[in-house]
Amino acid sequence: MALSNITLGQYYPTDSAVHKMDPRVKILLLIALIVAIFLAQSLLAFLPVAAYLLLAIRLSRVPVRMMIKSLKPLRLIIILTFLLNVFFLQGETPLVDLGFAVIKKEALLTAVHYSLRLVLLVLGSSLLTLTTPPIALTDGLERLLSPLRVIRFPAHEMAMMMSIALRFIPTLLEEADKIMKAQTARGADFESGNLIARAKAMVPLLVPLFVSAFRRAGDLAMAMEARCYHGGEGRTRLRVLKCEKRDYIACAVTALLIAAVVLAGLL
Amino acid sequence: MQVTLDHVTHTYQAGSPFQSVAIKDVSMTVREGEFLALIGHTGSGKSTLAQHINGLLKPTEGRVLLDGKDIHEKGFNKKEVRQKVGLVFQYPEHQLFEETVAKDVAFGPKNLGLSDGEIKERVREALAKVGLDPAAMEGRSPFELSGGQMRRVAMAGVLAMRPQILVLDEPAAGLDPQSREDMLQLIFGLHSQGTTVVMISHSMDDVARFATRAVVMAEGAIAMEGTPEEIFSHAEALEKMGLDVPSVCKLGMRLRELHVPCPEEMFREDQAFETLLKLWKGEDAHGAQ
Ligand SMILES: Nc1ncnc2c1ncn2[C@@H]1O[C@H](COP(=O)(O)OP(=O)(O)O)[C@@H](O)[C@H]1O
Ligand SMILES: [Mg+2]
Repeated sequence: MALSNITLGQYYPTDSAVHKMDPRVKILLLIALIVAIFLAQSLLAFLPVAAYLLLAIRLSRVPVRMMIKSLKPLRLIIILTFLLNVFFLQGETPLVDLGFAVIKKEALLTAVHYSLRLVLLVLGSSLLTLTTPPIALTDGLERLLSPLRVIRFPAHEMAMMMSIALRFIPTLLEEADKIMKAQTARGADFESGNLIARAKAMVPLLVPLFVSAFRRAGDLAMAMEARCYHGGEGRTRLRVLKCEKRDYIACAVTALLIAAVVLAGLL
Repeated sequence: MQVTLDHVTHTYQAGSPFQSVAIKDVSMTVREGEFLALIGHTGSGKSTLAQHINGLLKPTEGRVLLDGKDIHEKGFNKKEVRQKVGLVFQYPEHQLFEETVAKDVAFGPKNLGLSDGEIKERVREALAKVGLDPAAMEGRSPFELSGGQMRRVAMAGVLAMRPQILVLDEPAAGLDPQSREDMLQLIFGLHSQGTTVVMISHSMDDVARFATRAVVMAEGAIAMEGTPEEIFSHAEALEKMGLDVPSVCKLGMRLRELHVPCPEEMFREDQAFETLLKLWKGEDAHGAQ
């Protein structure tokens, strides 16, 4: 079945130090990394960023092929960015004459710069989602956003909604897979026919799926209330997030990275 | 008509870090006319096995043969397997979707491309078979029925395709005692009328009552196979797999422990009744067997 190939998010479990880091720190460090990438104004300044990412990937023990796979959905945008910049930017030093267009040195450099920036951004954020389970991610986000409660930002409710949604995506996929199989057993065909036929074929899947989703939502609300859930007020947590040595080391290394990028810019 | 699984292995999400082998190297045959019970602990691969019998799942390794022909070979008409082998999933009432009972039951026959007249006839026949009054039920919404009725409608949806083999995944799970008994009698009735039945069940009492043969699954492989008598004579082995024996077997074991003369091959309610009656009348139950 097609649905069994969908994995949620892209979490890749290993027991590396990167995986064990505090999700709050990881989120903040990703922001710092993004800042560093935008601060890097020359190709030279990308060197420390690339080295930093390579080190992090090595430490996380996520296979390189998974990292490359994460670039796939954006490959078109990256290639387009490169081509548009190469062909349409102005410059002074001609490099190659292709007949229909002349590629300038400045344009080529900028094109490489912009596409490299995109690649690094994607790799950095993928590393976060590959090494952090979605639930830990929402947990970290909630903690980071909780100071915004003073301006009545519903950080807890948002995080709870996100966790519940994340928690139920696999369940719903499983359910969808089961219903799809049950209807296939009754001769339904989800794979052939034109667009209209296919849209129609979704009805026997979607109706039961919605029915079950509503039933589950009702059950869950009941179960939460039965266990005295009343919002975030005064709620303690099971997994208390704690910064450890590795988190401080990672912060120090990231600070070094920013310094290196700024230095490279001054050269 | 018979279905044979030939060295079937199934791996879910093969090639991903989450891959899991659900059944490995399973070979078995569903014989024409039998009532085969599939038993095993949760997660032992019963449902996965059942979904191979009508070609819903494709074996990662091995073949599934319908009367000797490989159903996953190119050119084999999948609809033919789906029609001949009906599969009733666990909690089949969760697959209902149409506005009316009649329309829902008609879904299968419609997919087979039958004529309107034929479909109508089959819907009536299927509803009657599951013990629902076609005239009263046809126009109702399946979502306003009771749990037991919904399950019957879902089952009628499969029966309307007139399968020769009926595979049922825990058909009695979650029903109240009366609906449960009705459901089992319904299945037994279908078997008596010539349908080959494969039933996954956790109730050893039901297996003892109805099955002509049983296959015990453990950790994705077939651990035991034989008539219920044969299977239930290995009480210890079953216990090791986290399984039970029929309550009548347990009664016999306890009586034998107290040296009450009680035959070993007693595992159904009617047998227990006879034995106890004889004991009460003062006859030797062993001698009378
Ligand atoms: N759709 C699926 N995706 C991944 N693993 C599955 C899926 N369905 C079942 N499994 C796994 O396969 C094994 C056998 O499951 P199943 O056939 O449902 O056993 P049973 O019906 O005997 O409880 C279990 O370990 C289960 O976790
Ligand atoms: Mg099962």
